[in-house]
Amino acid sequence: MDSLYHTHVKLLAFDFITLTPNPSDPLSFSRKGLSISRAETLGIVTCREHKPNKFLKFTVDDGTGCIPCILWLNQLSSQYFSRRNPSDVRLIANAAAKFASEVQLGVVARVRGRITAYRGAVQITVSDVVVERDPNIDILHWLDCVKLARKCYDVVPCYKPK
Amino acid sequence: MASSTISSGALVSLEELSSSSPHFKQGASLRVTGKLQEYTVETAIAVIVDGNVRLKIDTQHMKLNFRVGSTYQFIGELLFEPSDEAILKARVGRNVDGIDLNLYKQSLQLLRVFQAEQINGRTT
Repeated sequence: MDSLYHTHVKLLAFDFITLTPNPSDPLSFSRKGLSISRAETLGIVTCREHKPNKFLKFTVDDGTGCIPCILWLNQLSSQYFSRRNPSDVRLIANAAAKFASEVQLGVVARVRGRITAYRGAVQITVSDVVVERDPNIDILHWLDCVKLARKCYDVVPCYKPK
Repeated sequence: MASSTISSGALVSLEELSSSSPHFKQGASLRVTGKLQEYTVETAIAVIVDGNVRLKIDTQHMKLNFRVGSTYQFIGELLFEPSDEAILKARVGRNVDGIDLNLYKQSLQLLRVFQAEQINGRTT
């Protein structure tokens, strides 16, 4: 398995949207042959569609493109969570509701989550959100992404199964 | 894979936004930053400046407290009025007081070089 498989890889939107699903692993995506499953983005929230107790869909614009994000809000009614400890599920649901209330049009959000595909497009299935207040934070994010791509993501050797 | 249908606001400084710029066209989605020079409550039209360049911003859909002298950033679409004057119809906006505009512009240059490298790397 690639060393960055479980890392939240910081990608600019123009890079993120070119990720392709790995045919051999439905949970991972390929960037120049490197398998990754999680990503982090930072940008301005430019679109927001809220279905209470179901989901919040939103878009993060980092200046190089837009990344669609989905934050699930159905933890208390979904079968998926029915076998888990109810107090844990409540905590997850409360955290998701808090994130949803913070994600408003025009805010700068740092979003982390799993990379997933929906209707042929890559998106982030959100696990956490931080709303940033520092007006220089997107500059730092761009430079982080550039440095990480050049020094790490573009040079990490890929595992090739024999 | 397919990309999102929402247009990203291309990062441009006001100084780059001249008639020769590829972004200076009807409907272009842009992200612009500048100091608020004037704001008219009745029309919700703001004017931002950076250096010697000014741009009108239609802020009809904004819920922002505008303060002359503060710095704002907007994402929206560029339109041309009958007088041929450009105006950005803003979708979102925010106060960015404290932004280091010199660092912002330098970082934009680095970002563009990186983006070109990556895109060229994909096609070669």
